[in-house]
This record gives sequence, C-alpha cells and structure tokens, in this order.
Amino acid sequence: MSLMAFMEAMGTSDIAIVAAFFIGLMTAISPCPLATNITAIAYASKKIDNSKHTIIVGFLYTMGRMFSYTLLASLIVWFGLSSQTLSLFLQDYGDKILGPLLLIIGIVMLNIIKLKTLKGGDWLNRLKEKLAEKGFIGSFLLGVVFALAFCPFSAVLFFGMLIPLAIKAGDGLLIPAVFAFATGLPVIIFSFILVYSVSKLGHIMNKVQIFEKWMRKIVGVIFICAGIYYLSIVLM
Amino acid sequence: MKYVIIIALFLIVVTGCTTNSSVESDLCSDAGTCNAIKEPSSQAEITVDRIEIYHFHGVNQCFSCKTVGEFAEKTVNTYYKDLLDSGKMTFASINAELPENKELAMKYEVTGSSLWIGTYIDGEFHKEENTNVWYKVRDEAGYLSYLKGVIDKRLVGDLS
Repeated sequence: MSLMAFMEAMGTSDIAIVAAFFIGLMTAISPCPLATNITAIAYASKKIDNSKHTIIVGFLYTMGRMFSYTLLASLIVWFGLSSQTLSLFLQDYGDKILGPLLLIIGIVMLNIIKLKTLKGGDWLNRLKEKLAEKGFIGSFLLGVVFALAFCPFSAVLFFGMLIPLAIKAGDGLLIPAVFAFATGLPVIIFSFILVYSVSKLGHIMNKVQIFEKWMRKIVGVIFICAGIYYLSIVLM
Repeated sequence: MKYVIIIALFLIVVTGCTTNSSVESDLCSDAGTCNAIKEPSSQAEITVDRIEIYHFHGVNQCFSCKTVGEFAEKTVNTYYKDLLDSGKMTFASINAELPENKELAMKYEVTGSSLWIGTYIDGEFHKEENTNVWYKVRDEAGYLSYLKGVIDKRLVGDLS
C-alpha cells in the first residue's frame, strides 16, 4: 500500500477523529503549512540551551493553531457561518497579510532596522524584547496567525475535507482540535529532536552560547524566506 | 494508572459520540463525497437528464489544484466523448474568482479549489464535492479509473 493510499484510507476513516488526525497530517506536510511549520520550528529553537523553553514554545504554537481552527470550525458548525464566505475571505487575504508580516518579523529579528530610530520605536523595541525573551505569547500568536493563512491546497484539506466531517458529526470542537494537533505535530516532534541533538552536540563542543547566537540570525533569515515564499504565491 | 483509565474512558465516550452522530447524518457518504440532497429511494424509475463536472479554482493554483483539473478533463475526454458531444455531460475548468463565474460558484457553494459533480435526476439537482481525487494526483491511472467509476454510477442515478 502506497503512502497516499494509506493516507486516503485513514483520512476517509469512519471514525471521525482518526480521519481528522490524518487530514491534519496531510495538511502539516503540504507546502504552505510546511513553510509555516519550519518557521515555527526555527522560532522554537531560538533558545536551544533551554530545552524546557523550546518544547513549551512548540506546544504553545500548536495550541495557537488549535485556537484558530476550532474557532473557524465552531463558527461554521454551531453558528452557521458560511464556509464558502470564510474560506474565500481567508484565501484572499491570508497569504497577502502573512507574507509581509513574516518579512517584517524577520527584518526586526535580524536587527536590520534599528527600532529605536523609528517614532514609537522604544515601545516596539520593548515589545520585541519581551516577545523574544519569553517567546510564549509570541509562539501562541504565531500558531493563531499561521493557521489562518490558507493556501489553495490547505483550504481544500480544511474546508473541503475537515469541515464536512465536523458538520456531519455536529462537532465544532474535538474534531478540529485533533486536526490542529496533527498540523502542529511536526513542530513538537522536531522541537524534541532539536533540543536533544543540538544541546548534546553543543555541550560536547562546549558551544551552546554560540549556537544560540547563530540560531537567532538563522530564525530571522527563515522568517524572511517564508515571507518571500508567501509573497511569491500572491504575486505569481 | 487511574488517570490512564479516565483518559481512555473519555476517548471511548467521545469517539462513540462522534461515530454515532455520523451515522445519523446523511450529508456525506464514506466515499469522500458530500451530497446536498438525499439520494432517491427508488432507482427503478430514475432518469438522469444531465451531468455537470466542474473543476473550480482560483487565480493562484497549486500543483495539486492544476492536476485535479487536468486529470478530470482527461477522464471525461477519454471515456465520455460521446456524452460531451451530445450535451448530456458538461465539463469545464472554472476560475471561481472571476465575476462572470460567481453565480456558478455560489450555486455549488465552492470554498476553493475543488472538483464538483452536478447530477440532474428527474429534474432535480444533486451536487457533490469529490475530495478523494486529491489523494490520487500522483497516480493518473488510479485517478482516471476512480473518477470513471463515480461518474458511471451517477449516470445511472446512483448517488452512493
């Protein structure tokens, strides 16, 4: 049985939760969510010397995705909002907003533009430091925003497959939550792998601090790349 | 151990509820299609007037979105040329974002890139979105034979 045949069998399972989980996994590896997940993995590994921090950030990011997906699903399933209107709106504006947003975050992270020189820059700088230091609220917000940026294929998986499943079961909470967990699962898994391997390697080489310094730069670059990727979808 | 048992019980209850409610609803079939209207109870007197197959898409199309449309077009051109020529079957790739196509997109309640089959049986319109085709975008032969199987059923008024 090929991987796709297996994914199809699981994604169309009679047990709605199993189907939701595998539709979520399909989403996690489809191009757009994959780009956002890679960005989130990079974000989670900023403070790689603090393994607890990295893992919590990975989980909070997934919680953020869960928040958005359950909100959308419950609005459709329980409050009768038009799936068509929501889907077309989010596909229309999601990537248009996300591309520039990722670019701006990346530029700020790389310190290309000194915020202090801008009007109101002090406030922005304090916010940036706060988000960068803790990263907990930031990671949750990243999950919320990334989940709302639908590309054509991720919209098929969510609005074409998951929502009919949720409507059929009359469940706007558990089914989208399981789906969301699966979409964020690669981030959680990679956070674990990164924490384990990098900290081990770093300790062997006694260079955790240098890793962290470079990680911040790499994260900025990844945000910019993801931003360019999203902008290219919009502009092409 | 106590917590494991509680979590297991919770999952059983929740899964049970979900599967039970899915049995009660007949909006979607297990074949990855969602019918807007219930299928007719008797198939003996059914007359299929016409069948429409539409591939809806936006301005920005992903690789899979294009492939779903291309394979659908190939399916109808390979197996249903006579029906297309006679006008009993229609196939079109529709850009749902263009103003002139809004009405059709609204009729099918299109949420994005998708493949829809509209069947007119005894003057009644049945629409369904087929999502199973998305799993077959890397298997052309599998896609064509699967979609042919679905269309063949619709042509005899079988909406299952």
